Amino acid sequence: MKKRRFLVAALALAGFGCDSSSGGEGGTGGTSQSVTIDFAAMVADQVFVCGTTYDNLGADDSSLELSDFRFYVQGLELKNADGDYVAIDLDTDGNIWQVDNVALLDFEEGCTNFGDEATNRVVTGTVPEGSYDGLRFKMGVPFELNHANPAIAEPPLNLTPMHWDWQGGYKFLRIDTGDSSQTTWRMHLGSTGCDGDQLAGGTTTCTAPNRVDVELDAFDPESDTVVADFAQLVEGAALDVHQDGTVGCMALPSDSDCAPLFENLGLPFDGSVPGTQQFFSVE
Amino acid sequence: MKHVANTLILATLLLGVGCGDSDTATTPGAWVWDLPDTVPEPRVPEDNPMTTEKVELGRFLFYDKRLSANETQSCGSCHIQELAFTDGLPQAEGSTGQIHPRGSMSIANSAYAASLTWANQALVLLERQALVPIFGEEPVELGMANMEDELLRRMQEDARYPEMFAAAFPDEQEPISLDSITKAIAAFQRQVTSFKSPIDRWQQGDRTALSESAQRGLALFFGGTNEAGVADAFECFHCHGGFLFSQSSDDAGQVFDQKFFMNNGLYSLDADGSYPAGNQGLYEMTGDPKDKDRFKPPSLRNIAVTAPYMHDGSIETLEEVLDHYARGGRLIESGPNAGDGKDNPNKSAFLNGFVMSEQEKQDIIAFLHALTDQDLLTNPAYSDPFAE
Repeated sequence: MKKRRFLVAALALAGFGCDSSSGGEGGTGGTSQSVTIDFAAMVADQVFVCGTTYDNLGADDSSLELSDFRFYVQGLELKNADGDYVAIDLDTDGNIWQVDNVALLDFEEGCTNFGDEATNRVVTGTVPEGSYDGLRFKMGVPFELNHANPAIAEPPLNLTPMHWDWQGGYKFLRIDTGDSSQTTWRMHLGSTGCDGDQLAGGTTTCTAPNRVDVELDAFDPESDTVVADFAQLVEGAALDVHQDGTVGCMALPSDSDCAPLFENLGLPFDGSVPGTQQFFSVE
Repeated sequence: MKHVANTLILATLLLGVGCGDSDTATTPGAWVWDLPDTVPEPRVPEDNPMTTEKVELGRFLFYDKRLSANETQSCGSCHIQELAFTDGLPQAEGSTGQIHPRGSMSIANSAYAASLTWANQALVLLERQALVPIFGEEPVELGMANMEDELLRRMQEDARYPEMFAAAFPDEQEPISLDSITKAIAAFQRQVTSFKSPIDRWQQGDRTALSESAQRGLALFFGGTNEAGVADAFECFHCHGGFLFSQSSDDAGQVFDQKFFMNNGLYSLDADGSYPAGNQGLYEMTGDPKDKDRFKPPSLRNIAVTAPYMHDGSIETLEEVLDHYARGGRLIESGPNAGDGKDNPNKSAFLNGFVMSEQEKQDIIAFLHALTDQDLLTNPAYSDPFAE
């Protein structure tokens, strides 16, 4: 049993040391079309701007100076005219924001030491020719990439501020306030409960994968934007109080500050029944 | 199944030792382990074979303060050779002054650790663990998050490193990389072994190696009957046995998961047996209540020079450690951490307390002192090249 897992892990890891260009180029012979999915980061009805203070947040109408807003998305699919979801084949050649079926959206502009000026607000790729209405994706990094060696990962998986080495993976979502020495709140989300195995050479399972399922039923890629709304993420959360030991939520299963945030992401937390995802919506 | 597993082990050993090379003229220095017969070889990942050049590069990197953002700390700042690679503090302090919840662990014999750090079941590779102190943000240790380009620039601009990296990683087009840095540091750590204590000499047949007191302590540690007539009175070896003096012990021949964490009744703040927030052990990784306050029992090798003790340094002396176990858990009478660890519901079943005479206490302490390996503390091969 262990040996089989070792081989699977070794093969998976070997696969990512080699060719990582997007699969399925040229497809099955049908024509394809380019598609661009626009993303926006908002705080209620205000656009997120790095280093700005926003009010009326959470259960206690708190104010926070937001200084980082980045997240990975994986497995984007568009719904075609037959009602079937079709994978978007991401552009990866020479694209530092996309690799395999993963993209990094980056709305911060380097207002802290952990960020930089460059931003990315789109995911680009191709789909078979047709008309589409409806978008599905997960916020996260797929398991094999999430636990592969980050030191040899290709962009956008080679950014150390997006590493989450203590659980052997990545931060799927990174929202920070202030700068590192004065941070009053943060949200870092990744897989937890991860187990490592010497024989497999790394992480084998995580009891809480924490990948957020997003389904936007009515989404026209030509005219609509996916909105990530921080105010929706923290609805009902008391942001001025925190359990001793951690500021905000770093997805620690032991941190009750995470419970309302997980609920707003539609993720189970500490055995709870998952709520409905409300962080992402369509505009 | 066993046949295939043995083949894998053999392949790993061969790769690790580098024997059977037909082209040694072109390969870097083949590695030879300096280990007694009583100890197995450590597991070496296939993608990071041991060579003398890689180990030497790793030694430089381990002690190089340019691996911290403000250039004030290296790995060696918190892992000090004469303290068996610990730092004498109850909780470690990072390069920007942030205090870590837990104390620096010894890197000696970390090649054999079934899991790395005090309470993390995901970190099983030295190569990956190295990223945590270098790039971690909570707390900041070396503080290099988002500075990986700067780190590589510092390496490239050094007078020695380009050549040392090329010699350590001859097959890489770009020898200087984040991957090669972590691999070199891992290789250096992997060969910091410690098996030359008086206990080891005793076990190899030197009957002058231990005082009579330490001999009595050895017997009590390994299940001996105490003066009160109780067999296996102290139960130490159940968590601190084996050649590593910790049950969390992996090596090249292991085929089963050897990770091991347990709760030794240091605190009990509430009916759930909670420990202070921010230090709830494996529970913070898994969220499983039965993992509350479970920590890895560290190796007791060199324990006499690695005070203070426990994950948060909250027990200062070996005498007090033994008193803690004799009682079966720690009572804290007042303050924010008040509670009786003896009543912790997650406490290990081995912690029932015991009767220990003053002589027995001194004997066990003499035994623990006999686990100090002077070679580890002074070997130039493990020392700071920048201090020369």
